[in-house]
Amino acid sequence: MINRALFKQSCKAHWIKWLSVTLSTCVMLMIVIIVLGNLGINDIRDSLKNVFVQADQESSLKENSVDGYESYFTMIDGYSAIESKAPLLAFLQPQFDNQIDELEGQGIEATKEVRAQIIVTMVSGIIESGAAAGFGMDESLVKVFLTNYLTVYSDAQLEGTSLTDEKLLSDAYCNTIYQVTYQDAIANGKSEEEALVQASSSSYICQDAVASYNKNKSNSEYNYSADATNCVNLLMQTQAEQSLAGSGMTEDEIKQYGVAVKVISNTAINTYQLWLNELGDTEDAKVEAKSQATKSISDEIPEKVAVALQELGNMDMYGLIIGSIFYRIAGLLLPMVFVIMTANGLLAGQVDSGSMAYVLSTPTKRRTVTVTQLAYLVFALFSMFAMLTVFSVIAVAIAGGNNFAINYSEILLLNAGAFLTMFAIAGFCFMCSALFNRTKHSLSIGGGLTIFSLVCTILGLFGSTVVPSAMRISSMDFFNYLSIITFFDTVSILNGTLSYLWKFGVLLGIGIVCIIIGVFRFDKKDLPL
Amino acid sequence: MEDIIKVENLTKDYGENKGVFNISFNVKKGEVFGFVGTNGSGKTTIIRHIMGFLKPQKGEIKVLGLDSWKNSCEIKKNVEYIPGEIAFPDLRDGTTFLKNQAELLGLADMSYANKLIEKLQLDTSANLKRMSKGMKQKTAIVAALMADKDIIILDEPTTGLDPLMRETFLDIILEEKSKGKTIIMSSQMFDELEITCDRVALILDGKIIDIADIKELKNLPYKLFKIEFLSHEDFIKFKKFKYKIVRVQEQYNQFTIQVDNSKINKLFKDLKNFKLKFISEVKKDLEKHFKEVLTEFYKKNDIVLKPTKSGKEDVKHDK
Repeated sequence: MINRALFKQSCKAHWIKWLSVTLSTCVMLMIVIIVLGNLGINDIRDSLKNVFVQADQESSLKENSVDGYESYFTMIDGYSAIESKAPLLAFLQPQFDNQIDELEGQGIEATKEVRAQIIVTMVSGIIESGAAAGFGMDESLVKVFLTNYLTVYSDAQLEGTSLTDEKLLSDAYCNTIYQVTYQDAIANGKSEEEALVQASSSSYICQDAVASYNKNKSNSEYNYSADATNCVNLLMQTQAEQSLAGSGMTEDEIKQYGVAVKVISNTAINTYQLWLNELGDTEDAKVEAKSQATKSISDEIPEKVAVALQELGNMDMYGLIIGSIFYRIAGLLLPMVFVIMTANGLLAGQVDSGSMAYVLSTPTKRRTVTVTQLAYLVFALFSMFAMLTVFSVIAVAIAGGNNFAINYSEILLLNAGAFLTMFAIAGFCFMCSALFNRTKHSLSIGGGLTIFSLVCTILGLFGSTVVPSAMRISSMDFFNYLSIITFFDTVSILNGTLSYLWKFGVLLGIGIVCIIIGVFRFDKKDLPL
Repeated sequence: MEDIIKVENLTKDYGENKGVFNISFNVKKGEVFGFVGTNGSGKTTIIRHIMGFLKPQKGEIKVLGLDSWKNSCEIKKNVEYIPGEIAFPDLRDGTTFLKNQAELLGLADMSYANKLIEKLQLDTSANLKRMSKGMKQKTAIVAALMADKDIIILDEPTTGLDPLMRETFLDIILEEKSKGKTIIMSSQMFDELEITCDRVALILDGKIIDIADIKELKNLPYKLFKIEFLSHEDFIKFKKFKYKIVRVQEQYNQFTIQVDNSKINKLFKDLKNFKLKFISEVKKDLEKHFKEVLTEFYKKNDIVLKPTKSGKEDVKHDK
C-alpha cells in the first residue's frame, strides 16, 4: 500500500519546511513555558487573591466583634432575669443536701458520679412537676440551667470551698451559656473545634458581663458600653494571638498582629455604636448598623467589579497562556501552514503542475499514491508533535516539574490534543487536495477554512470563560462554534474533567472521514496529466 | 498482426464543442501511430484516455487487451509516457529525479538510461528548477524511455528541442521502432511524423478527419512534375498533349502536371522538342495531403476558410 520511492520523494520535497516549522514551534513553546515559569506571572494574581482573603477575614472579625458586643448586653439581660427568679432556687440546695445525707446515712459514698445521678433525677423531677414554668424561660433551657446550678453547688461541696449565692448563680449561668452555644454551633453544622472556640468565647463574654453587672447593679443608670467594648476587644486580641502561637512568628510580630486585630475590633464596635445612636435602638436599626460596621473592601466596591476582581484573582494565568493561547492558537499556526502547503503539494499541486504523471506512468496504483502521501503527511505531523512533546516536557522540567502550574500528564495531554487537532485539519486539507485538480482551489478551500478556524478561535477567546469577565465579550463566544479547534478542550484538560475525551474522539473522526472521502474520490476522478 | 491498442467510439464531451467525439482506431504491434492537429483539437485528451488518467464517457480503450481505465496500473507495466507538459516533482537535480523514477519503475539496471543520457548530451546534475525547456524535455525523455518497455506514448515530445537535438531524438525513436516497439506520438510538425510514423491521424475539433498511411503516400501510382518553359509559345503548344494539369501559372509559363508512373518515358519524349527552363518533381508529402483532405472536408461541411493576419488559415464554422 505504501510506495517507498514515493515516500522518500515526499520526504525530500518537504523536509526543509518540516524542520523549520518544527524547530520554531519547539523554541516558541520552550520560551513560553520557561519564561512564564521564571517570571512568576501569578504574583499579581496572588496578591489580588490575598486582598479578598484578607477582606473576608476582616469582615468576619468585625462581625464577631459586633456579635460579641451585642451578646454582652443579651447576657446581662439574661442574668438579671435569672437573678430576679433567685427565690425560686432557694429550695434546691437543702433538698440536694438532704439526699446526700440520706445516702451517706445508708453508708453509700457520695462520689461525683452518684451526685450527677442525683442531680439528673432531681432536675427531671422538677421539670415534670411543672415548676419550671415559673422561670418564664424555655423548658430545655431551664433544665440545663438547673443542672448546672446543682453541679456547681455540688462541685464546690466536694472541693470543700464555700460559694456565695452570687458566685453560684453567675457560674451556673455562664456554664449554661457555654453549653447552649456549643450545641447551637454543632446544630448549625460547625466543626467540633469551631464550636468549642465559639462556646468559650461566649462563656468568656458571659463571665465578664456578669461580673460587671454584679459590680454595678446598684446603679440602674450604669452604661455597660465601655465594659463590653473592652471585653470584646481583649477577647479578639487574645484569640488572634493564640491562633498564631506556634506558627513560627516571633513574639513581637504576634503581639503586633494582636494589636491590629484589637484596633479593627474596636473600630467595628465604635462604628456599630455610632450607627445605633443615629438609627435608634430597634431590631431593624441593629441589623443595619451591623452591616455598616462589618463592611470590608469587597463590600465597599460595586458587586460586579468585586466579582470581576475576584475572578481575576482566581484566574489560571498559566492555563490561559499555555493552554488556550499557545496550544490552541500560537503553537498551531506554523504546523497549520505546514499542513496546508504539504497536503496541497502531495496531490493537488502535483496534478496541477503535471508532475504526478511521472508517478502514475509507472506501475503505481492511484490508491498507493494517496495512501503513501497520506502516510507521509501523518508521519510528518506525528514526528513534529513528538518533537514538540519532548521539548515541552523538558521545558516543564526546567520550569519546576510537577510543581509547575502545569504538570507532566497535563502537558502530555495538551500535546496529544494539539496533534489530534492537526490530524483533523490535515485530513481536511488532504481531502481538499485529493478532490481538486487545481492548487488554487485546494489551497483556497483547505487552507482558507483552516485559517478561518484559527481566526475564529482567536476571536472566540474573548468570549470564552478562560478570559476574566471584565475582559469578556460573551457574544464573541459564537465564534467558537465555527471552529474545529473548539473540539480541543484545553480547559477540560487543565481542570481535570473528562469532557476532553469525547472531543478527542470527534477530532479523530473528522480526520478519518475526510481521509476516506479523499482517498476514494481520488481513485475515481479524471486527472489532467 | 495483433492490435496492441484498440480505441473504440471514445467520447468525452467537455461541452462547448470541446472534447473528443467517437474516436476509433487501432494500433498494431510494431507500428508507429501519429496524431496531428491544432492546439486544443483533442490529441492530449486521447492520449490521457489511453494512459487511464481520464475515464471515457462512452466507448472503451483496450491496451494489450486490458481496459485502460480499470486496469490502468497493469497497463503501465508495458507503457512508457512523456507528458505534454513538463513539470518535475519537487526534487533537487536531474540525477535525483532519474534515480527516484527508476525506483518507482522498479528498475535496477541504469545502463540504457546512461546510453540515452550520452546520446542526448544531457547534464543530469543540473538543478531541476533551473533547467531550460530543452533540458527538461531531454530529462523527461530519459525518464520515460529508460525502462525499455514495449509501448511508448509521447505527447508532443520534440517541443523545446533545438533542430540538432530533434534529429537525435527522431533517431532514438526510429531505433526504438526498429526494436519492434509500438509507439503513439502526437505532434504539430508534419515532417517529423512523416519520418517516424507508419500512419498518422488528422484530428480536428475532437474528431478524426483522416488517417493517412505514410507508405501509401510515398508510393503513389503517379508523379507530379513542375515544368517551366522558356517561351510562351511552347507553353501554349504543350497544352495540346493533354496531360492532367494540376496547376497553371501562366505568368511564369509554368505547369504542374500529374503523370502516371508508366507514362514518364512518354513525357520526356514529348518534351524533347521544347526549350525548358527547368523540370522538377513535386513530392506529395503529408502536409499537402492533409491540406487537400481539409479543403475537401470544409467544402463538404460548408465551412469557409478565412486567411488571418498572420497568414495562417483560420477555421470558421458557418452555421
